[in-house]
Amino acid sequence: MNFFEAKAKAKRNTAVLVLLFVLAILILIVLTNILVLAVLVFDHSRAVAGAATVSYEQAFNTPNFLITSGVVLLFVLGGSLYKLSTLSSGGMVVAESLGGRLIPQNSKDPEHKKILNVVEEMAIASGTPVPVVYLLDDVTINAFAAGWSPNSAVIGVTQGTIHYLNREELQGVVAHEFSHIFNGDMRLNIRLISLLHGILLLGIMGEYLLRSMRYMRRSRSRDSGKAAGLLFVLGLGLMIIGYGGVFFGNWIKSIVSRQREYLADASAVQYTRNTMGIAGALKKIGGMGKGSLLESPAASEYSHAYFSEGVSSFLFSTHPPLKERIQRIEPNWDGEFILPEKLMDISESIKKKDIKRQVAETILTGSVMVGTVLEAIEKIGNASTEDMEHAQELLQQIPAALLDEARNPFGARAVAYSLLLHRDEGLRSIQWTHLQENSDVQVFSSARKIYPMVAGLERALRLPLFEVCFPALRSLSPKQYSVFRKNINSLILADKKIDLDEWVLYRLLKQQLDESFGLRKPAKESRGKTASINQELSLLCSLVCHLEHTQEGAAEKSFNLCVEKYELKGLSFITRDKVSIRQLDEAMGKLEATKPRIKEFLLKALVYCAAHDDQVSPRAQEFLRVVASCLGAPLPLMGGSAE
Amino acid sequence: MDTNTMIALGVVAILILYLIVIFNKLVALKNRLQNAFAQIEVQLKRRYDLIPNLVETAKAYLSHERQTLEDVIRARNAASEGLNAAHADPSNPDAIKNLSSAEGNLMGAMGRLNVVMEAYPDLKANQNMMQLSEELTSTENKVAFSRQAFNDSVMEYNTYKQSFPQNFLAGAFGHGKDAQMLDIPDKEKIQEAPKVSF
Repeated sequence: MNFFEAKAKAKRNTAVLVLLFVLAILILIVLTNILVLAVLVFDHSRAVAGAATVSYEQAFNTPNFLITSGVVLLFVLGGSLYKLSTLSSGGMVVAESLGGRLIPQNSKDPEHKKILNVVEEMAIASGTPVPVVYLLDDVTINAFAAGWSPNSAVIGVTQGTIHYLNREELQGVVAHEFSHIFNGDMRLNIRLISLLHGILLLGIMGEYLLRSMRYMRRSRSRDSGKAAGLLFVLGLGLMIIGYGGVFFGNWIKSIVSRQREYLADASAVQYTRNTMGIAGALKKIGGMGKGSLLESPAASEYSHAYFSEGVSSFLFSTHPPLKERIQRIEPNWDGEFILPEKLMDISESIKKKDIKRQVAETILTGSVMVGTVLEAIEKIGNASTEDMEHAQELLQQIPAALLDEARNPFGARAVAYSLLLHRDEGLRSIQWTHLQENSDVQVFSSARKIYPMVAGLERALRLPLFEVCFPALRSLSPKQYSVFRKNINSLILADKKIDLDEWVLYRLLKQQLDESFGLRKPAKESRGKTASINQELSLLCSLVCHLEHTQEGAAEKSFNLCVEKYELKGLSFITRDKVSIRQLDEAMGKLEATKPRIKEFLLKALVYCAAHDDQVSPRAQEFLRVVASCLGAPLPLMGGSAE
Repeated sequence: MDTNTMIALGVVAILILYLIVIFNKLVALKNRLQNAFAQIEVQLKRRYDLIPNLVETAKAYLSHERQTLEDVIRARNAASEGLNAAHADPSNPDAIKNLSSAEGNLMGAMGRLNVVMEAYPDLKANQNMMQLSEELTSTENKVAFSRQAFNDSVMEYNTYKQSFPQNFLAGAFGHGKDAQMLDIPDKEKIQEAPKVSF
């Protein structure tokens, strides 16, 4: 194929279609005006008895026209702006709502390495920044690109894509996605979807008018009868215009989308200079039958961004037929699809591999999404192979039975409860009674079973075990989660106070899980000056020093060292008895809302407080990891801690 | 102000905006082109760094193939030096030529090593070796893609610059010369007719 020509043609076609879309909105406005005019004339002919022919000039005047057009435009634009604000979230959000998992840059898995390499290659070929890559646990062959701009873009591929395609074909698929990124297709599509939403609003308004008539009919006065008739005409008209507009708009949008697919195919050939790759991938999709349909329930919202049809539909398909696409790439194609060789059941192997890897990963990073905030700091947020090995060693010290429990939703809750049970027998029995009354029966019985194992666990393993529970806890239903959260709170408050060990677990839970269940909004960045957080910084640094040293004097000394090292002005040491958990919790809330630069600085200072004598106590380490995790900068386990 | 002046002002404003757009597009295209060139160097260097690791891993299995391994290392060192020389003075045609021929030798040596490795299934199955050859494949692809991306951006820049009306303006905006595409290092070799003897 001559890809330069193909690209130019696809771009021309898109321009014409987008113009058509704008024209459609203009037609919409004209139609609404005609409708309003008709209603006004109709109304007038009734009001003035006998005067059937009302002068159109009376109804058709500039103010009427302007008002109607203005209202229609307001509706369409308002509706689309609203939709735009919900859709224009970054690519990561899209990838995660589709159930994608981030592939870490330092992944040791050969298959992950391969896809990361291919993505880098194509980034070079297309001259765009290297996006992060997400993996979807789907056995079909498909991929997507998401994100508003090239800088915030992400690429997602399914497990099946990596599994069934060879390197060349993988390049083709990834190159296709890069074309979507390079040409801003995601942006174009989001805009079209938003406009459609605005048009839909007109239809909804019509429907609403029709509905409201039902109530009016009940009062059977003559006047309201007339009004009802008018409303009926207006409502029905609006509905027809709105839904009709959406229908045609969708139709145009799907044609635009198909043009962009041809463009992306042509660009894929340009980037790889190889028709075999992308054509091979398409043929394998054809060979797998319904090879590209995705399982994720969120799939239809982003149907335009896939490599191949992700959701089946007839008139509005966002992708051209496979055969047509292959024929454009290889004009003398014989029509034969390829049946992928390794047609084995890979879903099993996905599961097995995942559990091991996921656990090591959660332990290491504390969260699935590694914050980009602090990538610059050498150690923080940047787990090396050594750290990975250290984490795996640590994990092996946890009894296997306990780890297994932590990975299922019931066991995970039981483990979390057990971690919060008191050493003191009397208090513990109160906690048990509470659990028996308020928690799920199955959870309670498994907590009973687990507790001896948890109680016998070494201190340093508590937090890692807790973190292993998170993926399973995320899969709870919102209702289950709210019960779970209430129980956690009452367990913590059983002794009427919160100690640091409890706070550490509580804060991590609050930060990591409450957000996924929508109970809490992610903190907005606001504070930009170091001076504004002096008090909080003093508190945290002092606390870390106390955790390191039992003697007040030694703690103050290391605090002063840190102040000197980072030239912190306006900090004051806080004595042990003045540190309260309530203040700590408030301080954390405030610090979460600081700018990344400040967070980085803060973490450096804290790590220095703890580690300047080359020894970190387990309690300080635990505390630091939770603080770092709450600030969105996962801290790897520090090796060689003093036990 | 009457309507005519307003129209005239409007037209002038649009013209100025159009000029700004052209100017900015030229700058963007040129920068993309320069970035693409820098990428080639980065990837070449990465490849030179990877090769010693590969040889080190292969050594344990290929004790009978010392000659091949030494050839690879020698070719790699020559190419690496060539890159340094070319980096120090990119405008020197001799340095570029040396780099090209050293690159050609390295390709040949690597090719022979690959043929040798085919005979050692143990080596090919080695976990480390598999990782290294994935890395090397990827880097070699990146070298090729970065050259290609450079040529594509040269084409795009030149096409834009030579089209109407930019062809009248490019010179004034400091984009006088056309950008040059990269040559293939072994151009002469390819142009020679292959010798076949029976």
